[in-house]
Amino acid sequence: MDGTTLLPAVVVVPLLGAVLTPIVGRTRARMAGLWALAVACLTAAVGTALVALVALRGPFSYEMGAWAPPWGIELRMDEFGASIAVIGFLEVLTMLFAIKYVEKLLLPVRIPYFYTLMLLNAAGMIGFAVSGDLFNMFVFLEILSLSGYALVAIAGERIAEMAAFKYLALGAVSSLFVLLSVGLLYAVTGTLNIADVAKRLTGTGYALPVAVALAGLVLGFSVKAALFPLHAWLPDAHTIAPSPVSAVLSGLVVKVGVLGTLRVLQIYYAARPQQLPVLNGMLAWLGAISIVMGAFFAIFQEDIKMMLAYSTISNIGYIFMGIGLGSTYGLIGATVHIFNHALIKVTLFLAAGAIIYRTGCRNLTDLRGVGRVMPWTSAVMTVGALSIVGIPPTAGFLCKWYIALGAVQADKLMFAVAVLFGALFILIYYIRMVNAFYFREPTRPEVATATEAPLSMVGPLVVLAAGCLLMGVLGRIPLSFVEPAVLRMLGQ
Amino acid sequence: MKRIAVIAVLVAAFVPLAAAVAQLPTFGEASNPTNTYLVPRYLQKGPEEAGAANVVTDVILNYRGYDTNGEVVVIFTALIAALATLLVRPKQMAATPPGDDAPRSPIVSFVVKAIAPFIAVFTVYLVLHGHLSPGGGFQGGTIFGALIILLSLTLGHKYGLSLLPERSRPWLQAAAVLAFIAVGLLGWALCGAYLAYPSYSQLEWVREGWLIALEIGIGVGGAAIFATVFWTMEAEP
Repeated sequence: MDGTTLLPAVVVVPLLGAVLTPIVGRTRARMAGLWALAVACLTAAVGTALVALVALRGPFSYEMGAWAPPWGIELRMDEFGASIAVIGFLEVLTMLFAIKYVEKLLLPVRIPYFYTLMLLNAAGMIGFAVSGDLFNMFVFLEILSLSGYALVAIAGERIAEMAAFKYLALGAVSSLFVLLSVGLLYAVTGTLNIADVAKRLTGTGYALPVAVALAGLVLGFSVKAALFPLHAWLPDAHTIAPSPVSAVLSGLVVKVGVLGTLRVLQIYYAARPQQLPVLNGMLAWLGAISIVMGAFFAIFQEDIKMMLAYSTISNIGYIFMGIGLGSTYGLIGATVHIFNHALIKVTLFLAAGAIIYRTGCRNLTDLRGVGRVMPWTSAVMTVGALSIVGIPPTAGFLCKWYIALGAVQADKLMFAVAVLFGALFILIYYIRMVNAFYFREPTRPEVATATEAPLSMVGPLVVLAAGCLLMGVLGRIPLSFVEPAVLRMLGQ
Repeated sequence: MKRIAVIAVLVAAFVPLAAAVAQLPTFGEASNPTNTYLVPRYLQKGPEEAGAANVVTDVILNYRGYDTNGEVVVIFTALIAALATLLVRPKQMAATPPGDDAPRSPIVSFVVKAIAPFIAVFTVYLVLHGHLSPGGGFQGGTIFGALIILLSLTLGHKYGLSLLPERSRPWLQAAAVLAFIAVGLLGWALCGAYLAYPSYSQLEWVREGWLIALEIGIGVGGAAIFATVFWTMEAEP
């Protein structure tokens, strides 16, 4: 059997797992968690096998329903699609972490639905990442968005409903922009297949509708990615959601917007490169502003999860800046930062979750001295902080270095300065955090008497921290892995 | 001030979109790319190679069946989202909602009882006839869901619930997704790709059977989901 026939399985396994979760968890909620963990493990295994196949043989396609594209839907697995392995791996660790966490936080009746939504969300992201068809991408975008809105509201804490509603309203508008733009492209080309759209756009007229479609698609996807100034929904939603959900939303779901942008650029680099310079210029500037504003707001946050949420906006800025620079180094750095930031942000949010789970506190002043009572969790948090600042030899260094090189390569030194500035700001707020954790006396009795988080939380955290360090040491591997995809996209 | 800003943003978004739509090929022209590229094959070969006389059904359930597979998951996700955010205690849905025991008009109850079987038969017709003419699982399921809601409102919450017994309810809610995955995996195992149908002309009855299985799954799943969302919103927290 040819390995490529496994491609639909990476979507179908989490989907089937999701619809069966309410049935499995009907009598005992704990069963739903274990079931979801098993499904996530299987998904991750299939995803990893597929990525290995890409590494060995290069990109491949799968014809859904055995209909040749463009009549049927094509699944396309390329180097950008390698995010499915990252999604699978991080979902496994998040599910394991979540088992104890949600038992404490959620109403028992909602726990099976929590895991159902998590699996649906994962299936949506994976389906989006491997889709080679514009409308199909939209369908999976809806699955992952809809499950995301519900996951924000599921705990019902303080302003959860309000935050989820804000997320829903902006998310729905952005989805409409995507759908309308797909419609425009379909009207002028008569096809929905991504490769085929690129082919049929080459040399046809309709300059304005095609340009508006580009603008609409990138606008829609940058709302999903929370690029400044379209980030307004993110801080509340990512702060108020249960920590495992924050980890997935901040680490993975916003990246879907970036991946969507990359898919759109694949079309336009091939078919209409003359329409890209203006857009790229805007993306680079918005990225630079995002880096600085996100980091700036993060400094003033007391709530550690709010701080991490703003830091996500800053890091999305790095990625969009790398894309906007349009140079090989910039794009390679941006693509790898998608993966590395996912790893680092999941580490940080889960560590923050473990601290909140044990102490019930989330403000920096309340959390003074937590490093003494929760040594493992705090150490993981520190590793995550070092990685996100980009101190070598951690995961964050090489990709930020590449983005800075990309700025030099594109002859735009201003942007390299923005990279440095961002790193400095980020350093300030993580120093604040590490200082509070380790070098201050506890002020709250619940912090002073807290104990280390349970093994089902510390285990995933240690694996994640090891991943952050390992990706720093082995950073060359992902860089050289995505290089062919970037060169192909730029037509070099 | 805020209102003016909102209007300005809306106009700024509207003008380029309207200009782009105005420059599209004239709607309905026979020479449009949308009419000349993919559609001829769907129209000419659809009924023969995809299994349904209704070409729309061919596209929805066969050529682009994977999209519809995703769409039924979207509907299922909406159900789980409603359950996850509205339920607060076990057996909440089984409890009688406030006002359910208030006296109802005997005329309304009688009329609803009298027309209910006809509505039910019509939904079966719609689901099965989607094969040949407009209609299908989505439409039939929606109407059947509305019927269950109508019966719960007029004949009582308990009566409505008894139409979807609690033990089988989660299975019924997942029916559409499960039908797609079942047909998809059959295609994967027997015909070489997920959601592929047998291509031999002698096996036309298999293609039709799978299409009808999908339509019934969509109908049952849709009806169960609509009714459950209604009960969830009706239930007292």
